[in-house]
Amino acid sequence: MTDEQAVNPYADRLPDRLVDHAEWQRLDPLMLLVHPIREVGRFLVPLIGILVAGSASGGHDWWWNVIGIAIPVALGVARYVTTSFRIAGGRVELRRGLLNKHVLSTPIDRVRTVDITASPIHRVLGLTTVRIGTGTASKKGEDELDLDGVRTRAAAALRSDLLHGTPEARERATEADNTRPVVRFDPGWLRFAPFTSSGLVIAAAVLGGGSQVLNGLGLWDQLPIDTTAERAARLSLLLLVPVALLGLALVASVLAVLGYLVTNYGFTLVYTRADHAWHLRRGLLTTRETSMDATRLRGVSLGEPLGLRLASGARLSAIVTGLDRDERGSGTLVPPAPRDLVAGVAVQVLGTPEPVTAPLVAHGPAATRRRYTRALVVPALVTVAATTLAFTADVPWETVLLGPLALAAGYGLAVDRSRTLGHALVGGHLVSRAGSLVRRRVALETPAVIGWTFSDTWFQRRVGLTTLVATMAGGRQSVTVLDVPAPVGTALARDAVPGLVEQFLVLGDEGPAGRVLEVPPEVAEPDA
Amino acid sequence: MTARRLGGMEPAPRLRDPSELVSPRARLMWMVGGLVRAAVLMAALLVTSLVFDWYDLQWWMPVLLGAVTLAAAFVIPQWRYLVHRWEVTDTAVYTQTGWWRRERRIAPMSRIQTVDYVEGAIARLFGLASVTVTTASAAGALEIAGLDRDRARAVVDELTIKADTIPGDAT
Repeated sequence: MTDEQAVNPYADRLPDRLVDHAEWQRLDPLMLLVHPIREVGRFLVPLIGILVAGSASGGHDWWWNVIGIAIPVALGVARYVTTSFRIAGGRVELRRGLLNKHVLSTPIDRVRTVDITASPIHRVLGLTTVRIGTGTASKKGEDELDLDGVRTRAAAALRSDLLHGTPEARERATEADNTRPVVRFDPGWLRFAPFTSSGLVIAAAVLGGGSQVLNGLGLWDQLPIDTTAERAARLSLLLLVPVALLGLALVASVLAVLGYLVTNYGFTLVYTRADHAWHLRRGLLTTRETSMDATRLRGVSLGEPLGLRLASGARLSAIVTGLDRDERGSGTLVPPAPRDLVAGVAVQVLGTPEPVTAPLVAHGPAATRRRYTRALVVPALVTVAATTLAFTADVPWETVLLGPLALAAGYGLAVDRSRTLGHALVGGHLVSRAGSLVRRRVALETPAVIGWTFSDTWFQRRVGLTTLVATMAGGRQSVTVLDVPAPVGTALARDAVPGLVEQFLVLGDEGPAGRVLEVPPEVAEPDA
Repeated sequence: MTARRLGGMEPAPRLRDPSELVSPRARLMWMVGGLVRAAVLMAALLVTSLVFDWYDLQWWMPVLLGAVTLAAAFVIPQWRYLVHRWEVTDTAVYTQTGWWRRERRIAPMSRIQTVDYVEGAIARLFGLASVTVTTASAAGALEIAGLDRDRARAVVDELTIKADTIPGDAT
């Protein structure tokens, strides 16, 4: 045991001064077990080939099997031996690579998030992977700072050190009232899973993967596809389409529930006072623990996709500066759950209720008209095309029904979109809501706004609308206030970030219709 | 605030255009760019129909394509020249670009991260350059295209100095 600790001080204890290891150290030796298993997984397909080749040649070439095992093991050992890290001089450094030497180095005060994940193999061995997020713009996988193979207990200590390295902070972290649980997983949430689109995504993946396997094994030809298709073709489309949709919905629902369970089982959201951070933990097989520095958490996005709204559910994600879009998963704050609960969490995270509850300023008749034209143009084209086809080409007469269906769907979208559209400037937050199928209410701290974009097409200028975009250094990189009347949008930008837009303003100029535009008081001051 | 809202109504605030125009030679640059694009599209049309034989070339195809691309090459640069404007103040950068979709971008000096100076292949022919200002947001880059080369260098220097004097980590 003492030898091991000499190799890796993080191994299996809680040293009192963790961020003080100037020596290069290897990860946990148990990774010697993990790496070969993982390499075997990576080489699974060629391995099977090798083994099959070995047995097919009558067992004489036994050394094929040895190579098949030896290569992954050797690669695993090499990976373990060549990877080392140290935390010294206020920097985290990770050195790795067998052929290409690679040293990653980042200052500790740049660390924005620390993720602790544990795959099933890791969990059996009591290990975790610590991923250090620095908000780099680099998209290359090799630039990620992963410490793969840290004992579970030490990982927590390492995380708390990376996020706040002062002794006082560590002292406070041991106080009894330090942690405040905010939400805990409730099996009842599973009812929301079928209302998300994840089931369809999983179904598509299963279908794709399944067909590939069938193809690979040569079973594809044995499936009775032709006879099934023939039988199906004799049925009426009006029967076939709903039945197929129902079947798909059923399969997707089951898959969605399973997917939800695998991702979100054991979900907890905890706030710790000492380091002012939010900790999110979830996962059935692979557990994942994300910590977000609360001072970097600049806003939330309350997502209410159409499906979830039907079940009066919602989901919440965090806008963290320094987390890019590819790390959206770690931006999740609450998975699909009851709307009231989600809103409650949003209020706690933002520290003020107004951005979540305050009524929004609507964008007026021109914006509403635009919702209708935009939602109905495509259905109108579909109607024309479908009707033309039905009367001229040799297609089933039911094609005609596509037109009304598309128009009804478009109309519904337009109604919902125009009702949703709105913005507000309350409680120090810029709030914007838009969308129907994917409705989002985004609230962003105004100091996190790092620029404005006013974009308007000729159509928008003609009716005096503009799309105001507040850019930010996190989440989706921007918050959009769609189709807001130009003077209202300008006033919003002026009031949200004082001292920036004023210098480019002129007052009371002529509007697009040649008359002086005036802002009604209720629009000019949304928080009044 | 209250003073401005006397009587419950306030005059509508409106963004004015940025003060500076880009170099008049930018029109020529955009025109050459448009002509190159027209030539490439025409070549693609002829190659796909005559060499690869994907479809029969009708007489109206090159005529239509030529008319549209040439018109675009001559009209859009004029339009764009009227729209493209920029301004640098002590606290902010303000640009206006586009022709059909007009985009006005404002970035505070304190949030500027990098200032890029680029001389494109065509821009070089006309002694022009573009200056791109980025912030920590992937959605917030400001580009001033078609500046006179010396002017562009001066803008880069000015921006670098101003951005440097303001503290903060720009996020």
